[in-house]
Amino acid sequence: MLGLRDLQAAFAAHLVGEDRADLASAVVGDTIPAASRLRVHRHHVGQSLASALASTFPTVQALVGQAFFQGMARAFIVRELPGQPVLAEYGEGFPDHVAAYGPAASLPYLADVARLDWALNLAFQAPSSGRLTREDLSAIEPERLLGLKLSLAVGSTLIESPHPIDRIWRAARPDGPDEPISLEEGPAALLVLRGEDDAGFLTLGPAEAAFILSLGAGGSLEEASRSAFAREPGFDLSTTFARLVASKAFAALQHKSMSC
Amino acid sequence: MSHTRLAIASALAAALVLPVATSHAQGNMEKCYGIAKAGKNDCQTAHSSCAGTSKKDAQPDAWISVPKGACEKIIGGKLTPS
Amino acid sequence: MNPAAGIGLRAPHLAEIVRDRPAAGFLEIHAENHLGASPARQALEGLRRDYALSVHAVGLSLGSVEGLDEAHLDRVATLIDRLQPALVSDHLAWSVAGGRYFNDLLPLPYTQEALEVVVRNVDRLQERLGRQVLVENPSCYLAFAHSTLSEAEFLAELAHRSGCGLLLDVNNIVVTAHNLRLDPMDWLEKLPASAVGEYHLAGHAVNDADGDTILIDDHGSRVSEGVWKLFGEVVGRFGPKPALVEWDTDLPDVNVLLAEADRARAFLDAEGGADARAA
Repeated sequence: MLGLRDLQAAFAAHLVGEDRADLASAVVGDTIPAASRLRVHRHHVGQSLASALASTFPTVQALVGQAFFQGMARAFIVRELPGQPVLAEYGEGFPDHVAAYGPAASLPYLADVARLDWALNLAFQAPSSGRLTREDLSAIEPERLLGLKLSLAVGSTLIESPHPIDRIWRAARPDGPDEPISLEEGPAALLVLRGEDDAGFLTLGPAEAAFILSLGAGGSLEEASRSAFAREPGFDLSTTFARLVASKAFAALQHKSMSC
Repeated sequence: MSHTRLAIASALAAALVLPVATSHAQGNMEKCYGIAKAGKNDCQTAHSSCAGTSKKDAQPDAWISVPKGACEKIIGGKLTPS
Repeated sequence: MNPAAGIGLRAPHLAEIVRDRPAAGFLEIHAENHLGASPARQALEGLRRDYALSVHAVGLSLGSVEGLDEAHLDRVATLIDRLQPALVSDHLAWSVAGGRYFNDLLPLPYTQEALEVVVRNVDRLQERLGRQVLVENPSCYLAFAHSTLSEAEFLAELAHRSGCGLLLDVNNIVVTAHNLRLDPMDWLEKLPASAVGEYHLAGHAVNDADGDTILIDDHGSRVSEGVWKLFGEVVGRFGPKPALVEWDTDLPDVNVLLAEADRARAFLDAEGGADARAA
């Protein structure tokens, strides 16, 4: 007789595909044999986790179709099960799995699309509070703005790809345009954000991406601006900065302690 | 064009006085889900079409190597290993 | 006034319910869908003012031999604190082993050893939340040969030792009784009426199993007539309690759920009326 600890370990092994004789002999069989009864749970675990991944990576599924996605998801699930029960937080390793998944090698952009889906999923779960507003900045003298170091807000992620993943993302929407997209349309830089009541992304130009990257690396606003100008001498700093602040891309400033 | 500290400071400060409507229009975020985004922990109960006692796994055979979906709109890249 | 009949609140209905505020006795949500700070949770905090809420957890894994995941428990406790629901529940099942989560309500052997594990976990849950929780009978597809208690005996003992209440899922009783060849009326016999605190109703699917049939709890159709009939028995026996209609697979229009909830409420009202006349 299996004690509860051994029974749960054996059941866990069964769920990921191992046929355990000790488990099957612990289950009552009749006209429906024990092994058949156990398979209900194995099928359910695989199918429900694949559904959860499809819901987190809807663009990937739309690109490859449900059948292909299921196969790719099953291969991931047997390798990496959720470590906790919140399924919206399951799938961090899936983009790397897509990148390494042989049958998807003909779609070189697919892993970057998976990264975009994951970043959107994280943004959706991020709080909308604690964001820097332009009122916060208006109180600061221009000279002091130069030295300010801004962090991206929780849920804000910069995604860079050599492929036009913003256009691919739109084409994969249920109501997406039918016109073909050429991979020659080149690289994309997207800033994924938690909006007021949704997640979304901004498409950035190369200098804008350089600006965000510099801030992300701990650079000051002056340093970030210089990175952007180095990339594009005609960079429109005012418009970009206004757009990023209006989009609530940055975390609120950390106030220093009131005590002296 | 040279970018003096003063020019950068002025450009940053100018961003904070652009009309709100302008900066919002320029924000122009592509929205993605709406609040109807599926709650994934509703997948707890079995889907009848797949949960069952069958010896075959519920996954179809046809998936093996052919993606079939919106990827057909994307041209370029290496479509077949050569 | 009789207890209400509510509906399971699922994301595709959320915008409509926020906009129209249809009459529903209460709304039940899955805890694990609202532990992040998503717009859906913001919407829920708004609905709290107009509806009684029930928080139904699906991932606490009350049957795990390794005990509850304290980090997850903290998050569930924070949500409950925020929403102040009228009811809190999870299942007599396990879904975590060795730190891996299987997203299934996995079966327990009904033994003294398992009873001690579940009592310990429910004690910890109630202590952390500072309130009583309800534990739901699962849908069973298999039974363990070394079980020494029936499911109802196990639940009765669990309620007695931990002080938890019971959530009777009438569809699960029908599914389990069919799949394990039990008599649903015998199943009901062993339950302590005083512990019953909520009912669940849902549809199930009938699948082929090696030439036999197996019922699958897919929450994908209207409540079956067999389940309504048993619900009549259950309400007659245990009295009117909050009753919930759940639907997850192939979710229909919200009005279909509300109509099912109305049908459930008619049972509660009929029984409440009978009690009032008897009194």
